[in-house]
Amino acid sequence: MKRKQGLALLLTGLMTVSAFAMTGCSGGSTESADGGASTAAEGEQVIIYSNADDEAIEAMKATLDANGYADQYMFQTFGTSELGGKVLAEGTNIEADLITLSTFYIDSAQEQQNMFQDLNFTYQLLDGSEKTYCAPITSQEGAIIVNTEMLAENNLPMPTCLKDLTDPVYKDMISVTDIQSSSTAWLLIQALVSEYGEDGAKEVLSAIYENAGPHIESSGSAPLKKVRAGEVAVGFGLRQQAVADKAEGLPIDYVDPTEGNFSLTESIAVVDKGNATNPLAQEMAQCIIENGRATLQEYYPNALYEGEVTDSVNASAYPKTFAEPLTVELLEAHQALSESCK
Amino acid sequence: MVIRREKEIKIIYVVTIALFLAFLAVPILRLFGESFLAEEGIGLENYISVLAGKGFGNAFGNSIVISLSSALISTILAFFLAYSIQYTNLASGYKKWIRLLAVLPMLLPTITYGFAIIYSFGKQGLLTKLLGVQLFDIYGFGGLLFGYVIYTLPISFLLILNTMGYIDKKFMIVSRVMGDNGIKTFFQTVFRPLLGTLAASMVQCFFLCFTDYGIPASVGGRYEVIATVLYNEMLGSIPDFQQGAVVAMLMLVPSIVSIALLRYLERYNIRYNKISTVELRKNAARDWFCGIGSAVILIALLSVFLVIFIVPFVQEWPYQTQFTLEHLQAVLQDNSLTMVYRNSIFVAVATAVLGLLITYGAALATARSSIKQKYKAAINSIALITNTIPGMVIGIAYMLIFSGTPLQNTFWLMILCNVVHFFSTPYLMMKNSLEKLNSSWETTASLMGDTWVKTIVRIVTPNMKSTILEVFSYYFVNAMVTVSAVIFIAGARTMVLTTKIKELQYYTKFNEVFVLSLFILGTNLIIKGVLSYMIQRENKKKEKEQ
Repeated sequence: MKRKQGLALLLTGLMTVSAFAMTGCSGGSTESADGGASTAAEGEQVIIYSNADDEAIEAMKATLDANGYADQYMFQTFGTSELGGKVLAEGTNIEADLITLSTFYIDSAQEQQNMFQDLNFTYQLLDGSEKTYCAPITSQEGAIIVNTEMLAENNLPMPTCLKDLTDPVYKDMISVTDIQSSSTAWLLIQALVSEYGEDGAKEVLSAIYENAGPHIESSGSAPLKKVRAGEVAVGFGLRQQAVADKAEGLPIDYVDPTEGNFSLTESIAVVDKGNATNPLAQEMAQCIIENGRATLQEYYPNALYEGEVTDSVNASAYPKTFAEPLTVELLEAHQALSESCK
Repeated sequence: MVIRREKEIKIIYVVTIALFLAFLAVPILRLFGESFLAEEGIGLENYISVLAGKGFGNAFGNSIVISLSSALISTILAFFLAYSIQYTNLASGYKKWIRLLAVLPMLLPTITYGFAIIYSFGKQGLLTKLLGVQLFDIYGFGGLLFGYVIYTLPISFLLILNTMGYIDKKFMIVSRVMGDNGIKTFFQTVFRPLLGTLAASMVQCFFLCFTDYGIPASVGGRYEVIATVLYNEMLGSIPDFQQGAVVAMLMLVPSIVSIALLRYLERYNIRYNKISTVELRKNAARDWFCGIGSAVILIALLSVFLVIFIVPFVQEWPYQTQFTLEHLQAVLQDNSLTMVYRNSIFVAVATAVLGLLITYGAALATARSSIKQKYKAAINSIALITNTIPGMVIGIAYMLIFSGTPLQNTFWLMILCNVVHFFSTPYLMMKNSLEKLNSSWETTASLMGDTWVKTIVRIVTPNMKSTILEVFSYYFVNAMVTVSAVIFIAGARTMVLTTKIKELQYYTKFNEVFVLSLFILGTNLIIKGVLSYMIQRENKKKEKEQ
């Protein structure tokens, strides 16, 4: 008797709780505004998840603001692998309406989850790799970056290729990124694998890691920062950042490695939430591509779209593309390769 | 014997149990199930693949080594500080400062400690510059150890200080009279009675280090620990929920062992019948030694936080060091950052209020009702379980179960998560206080015709004021500083300060990181300060009445 009564009570309680949870969440979406949001229109704000660097975020914000979308969007930034993982894991359940992310992640997510809408506009790329569900916002190339003062001070030779960095004279004098967390490192590993094959790449990479010691960084811009600060003499990073530093008169120079300047693009895509899809997301994606590229090119100078040109200082000496298509599976394989070299 | 039917308290009991079923049992069971989901049906496949991986064993071993080392150091230092307070004739003002400063790190999130260590002991760090040399390699073992010690010292200190207060010092005199020398007296009358607590402190510190995510996130370097492995499995470049679930389950093992040990150690707590106030022997050497020792420990620990007050107020650390308010103004003008601050306050207040209601209700059910003992045991086990489960595990379980539901990324989910995660300590505080109150109040009141609710509101609650304030403060401060669970739940609209700090870290925006940390510290200091003042006033009033 008692037990039955207890059970009944328990069930009622469960119902109360679920009712509470229901009202809690229906209240949640409106109450999030009370909880600290600033504008009344918050419910309709487009949420943009992005792995882009500050410069690209600022360029996109400026473009959206200039075209009448001020206060109608909200950026949330992540590390590349963090956002890539989140997108793959959450699919269309993701909070974001609009995503900008490394293109290979977007491709894999589309393949696995079919989670992006076709864009409402068309575009023409220089290399003819247009897709229906995403459009590139930037292209980034890798290069060797050096601090000329540090090289002179330590009597170090100027490297010409990535293999040069295996020379023990560079011990504790170089900084690279870790492919576990940053896609910049992938540019380095692609170059090594395509030039020396997997086994050769392992050899070179092990020696580079040996030389880098504590300077294996998780963020793509960290090696440049260390080169700038004079903590190391040589780094591997994004080419355009070194070009900009050199132009500013810093003791920074860049070397196009003979193994090749590989590149990665980041793209924008609209999450398909069916009827709940925010209509502004498509508009904003179009706005960023059609009106934002000029500003974006100031920081990421590589030409992508028909009609664009890369100016001469920003044109790398050995532009190359990896033989296999870039996919998350390939990244996984290269991550494993990198781990085995540590 | 009991006249009342206690309908209300039964409802409270059921609601509490249902709440923990929905937000603790179901998510954890789901995670448990997930860990057995293999590509082909159900099996141990995931466990085999995780355990066979080189990375996992290594990280697990690292976690154990670093957690044990930190726990040992923390406990020794905390013992020294507590001893300085309880067993020396240092000036009471000085003791008050030790007490205050030793718990200060609790008011900051662990994720801040890591950055403070980088900016203090890194190559360009403040202390490195002041001292002219880098004291230790901050990335990896050294940095983690330092961070964990700062993190766990306050908890260990509070634990030891508390037990020390209950040791009868008269036995010291007895021991002396018996002809023991100083060292023997110390071991017989201070160390021995504390043994249980010291071991408990070790276990507690071990558990905290083992499950913390904030410190390794910033200074882990290439020294992998289990918390980073877990994060990377769930939110890394190629997430694998099943393997992540396995790691989460394996993370529970040391937690469960810790709790079992804690329960076992309870037996060794020595209870004295009465505490006599004894005048301590005059011993200037001892006082000087302890006074200076405590100062050194606290300066060493707190000097790390100096940078938080310096870095954001100079142009560009370390190259341009003129004073500026630019960074502070930039943060204050950045709408997205001020929104995050308001979010944090909202979450902390809501957590405190809801947590208060739940713990009060649960404690009323166990301490002041005639509900059957075995039903009461359910709530006590919940308290034990919440104490065992790492925040990261709760966060991940919520991510799995509430993804795609309207609760995903909402404040409510974060608030409930905090309430569940931090349930144990405030519940026990409530229960202990309620048990001390006169047990016949409700019966008397009901005989006089008062309803149960009226009795609780008019008689019990006024006597619980100081505990209520303490529970509020506990929940508030913890909700402000926690990162391990909410990192998996927070969304763009529901960012709180700690998750924002994690985001800013990726872009190495340390000025903003430190300004936001200062906001957390300032807010917690104000709340703590005001509430302690109120608690003190309340206690004095009570003393007067008696």
